[in-house]
Amino acid sequence: MLDLHALIAALHLLGGSWQPWAVVIPGILIGLLIHSVPGLTTSMALAICLPLIPYMTFLQALIFMTAMYAGSVFGVAIPAILLNVPGSAAAVGTTFDGFPMARAGKHNEALGLALVASCFGQLVVYLLLLGLAGPIGAFALKLGPPEMLVLSLWGVTLIGTLSGHHLPRGLLAGAFGLLLGTVGVSARGVPRGTFGISLLLDGIPLVPAIVGLFAAAELFNLVGREYIVDNLEQRQVHASRILAGMREAFRHRTVMLRGALLGSCIGIIPGGHAIANLLSYSEARRAAKDPEKFGTGDPRGILAAETANASSEGGSMATLLALGIPTGGATAVMLVAFSMQNITGGPSFMRDHADLVYAVILSNLAQVAVLALVGFAFIFVAGFVVKVRLRMLVPTILTLAVIGSYALSHDIAGPITLAAFAIIGWIMHKLDYPVQAAVVGLLLGRGTEGNLLRAYQMSGGNFSFLLTRPIAIVMMILLVASITFPHLRSMRAAAQKGKLKWTVENS
Amino acid sequence: MSNPPSIHKIADRTFAVDTPNILFATALAGWVAWYCWDAWHANAAVENMILILPVSLAGVALYCFVVAGCIKRVSQAEEPCLPSNEPMGRGLAIKIIGSMAMLAALVLAGPLIGFDIATFAYMLGMMIFLGERRILVLLLFPLVFSAAVIYCFGTLLATPLPVLLFRGQN
Repeated sequence: MLDLHALIAALHLLGGSWQPWAVVIPGILIGLLIHSVPGLTTSMALAICLPLIPYMTFLQALIFMTAMYAGSVFGVAIPAILLNVPGSAAAVGTTFDGFPMARAGKHNEALGLALVASCFGQLVVYLLLLGLAGPIGAFALKLGPPEMLVLSLWGVTLIGTLSGHHLPRGLLAGAFGLLLGTVGVSARGVPRGTFGISLLLDGIPLVPAIVGLFAAAELFNLVGREYIVDNLEQRQVHASRILAGMREAFRHRTVMLRGALLGSCIGIIPGGHAIANLLSYSEARRAAKDPEKFGTGDPRGILAAETANASSEGGSMATLLALGIPTGGATAVMLVAFSMQNITGGPSFMRDHADLVYAVILSNLAQVAVLALVGFAFIFVAGFVVKVRLRMLVPTILTLAVIGSYALSHDIAGPITLAAFAIIGWIMHKLDYPVQAAVVGLLLGRGTEGNLLRAYQMSGGNFSFLLTRPIAIVMMILLVASITFPHLRSMRAAAQKGKLKWTVENS
Repeated sequence: MSNPPSIHKIADRTFAVDTPNILFATALAGWVAWYCWDAWHANAAVENMILILPVSLAGVALYCFVVAGCIKRVSQAEEPCLPSNEPMGRGLAIKIIGSMAMLAALVLAGPLIGFDIATFAYMLGMMIFLGERRILVLLLFPLVFSAAVIYCFGTLLATPLPVLLFRGQN
């Protein structure tokens, strides 16, 4: 399990020189800064910094990139909470309760909660990694298309649980999102739903679409108001209130631990980090005695989403380090950094450079403490957003989103997608269609189709093949449980209410 | 957009109809049906339709449920299919639609005339439209912001943007 020789060698590597540590704070700051701009992503930040890699030692480069990763994990929560703009799919769950808290003047507490959740999630996943890097990697290899399909379907069922009061509208929005996610060239090589526009052949640009759907609904709704938070006193950034939020987090240890463990497991699967926050949010809501409070500014919502987000990023690092398989855009860029240093990622890397792997894990554990301090200071900078008049803030954010989406797609497809989805998102919001259902569908559409197709090919058209996959069966049971339990609970509550009414009427 | 349901009388029965919701659901379902048809025409093989066909059928079925939920008999409906948000005033609606139009203008004008000029014009226009009247703020903020954004993206992030004036940065 734990290679003590490699661990001691790692301690020597980290303790023998100050140089590996010199890149930690710059890395975290870059991660925080980049992700506080809607539209910019971790993979983009990592890609931009790639030219610096040849000037560093391999360990320094790894620590620098993981520090950026660590910073971005919390950075992505800042616009999600303050502006309802998730910088990436990984922060979608954070918006559900983060922005309602900010609008209620509790942005200090919300950011404090998110900071603790980010640090806790990373701490848990890297402690797990320290002991279980090898077995985690081996488990990831066992997950084939059927398991991935069930996981995708699990993600899609969130649509139903997240859809609030109008289930058909939520499911219709989810179906719309799922289909949108498959627009572009299919596995058969034919274009679908592109209207003949070549820019859509690669599909709908995800980040601009998500920023548009989320940013629009709230930014357009904020038009006509003076500030995000109307009350002058509530607009202040107070260290005491941030600390109160941080203390509040520790009152929900179960929620955090469940989110961190769920995120760690899901993060090792390709694309898992995009849905880890949503699954964790859904599970926290399902397990709560008062699920109706979720979505109205409940601290548990932020904690569940953020711990899973933070730990899933660590989980994807596990797959990268142990197997050399990138599970997302950011880890793919890190694999490029490997090759720039003439090092091949994969199981052989774990075998030949176990000391480096442990050094990265140990440095990440130290980075948690640095992130707590740097992140706390950064909240003061970020918290001033609520003090800016909306007639300046709204055009500023929309401009950054437009230019960020152009920078991402390098053509007009990004900005047009953003504007189109901005209007769709606003209409959906106004008519009480859950925007998040469409976003979940959009995120999972392409992956669900791919996994369904591969599972179909593996089974030879006979889906009873799924019954021969124990991991898929366990996941199916969890899926069914996550759908039925909330309904059973509400039915039981309704039955008890009816019984109580009957008793009162007959007494 | 968020008007109360319109009231319709059919025979002796009175119905509350949430027309905006029905129109939007129809637009969604229409796109879903068109997309399925387009994919089918492109290639009707299982590999091409394995997800699209069942999801599209489910989408059309869900549309029926949504529409059914938007038409209620007034006498029976305890809670008519009211939009959850407050009705929007005319002034606010104009501001929101104007903001959307300006965003569309920025998106289309940016690549054509350059993001430096488009950003400045958009910021200035939006700030005036949303009620800013301080001349110094109106001139300085869009100018400094546009320059900072173009410099950051062009130089620090090495991301080429179409520009008219700051060509040295890109």
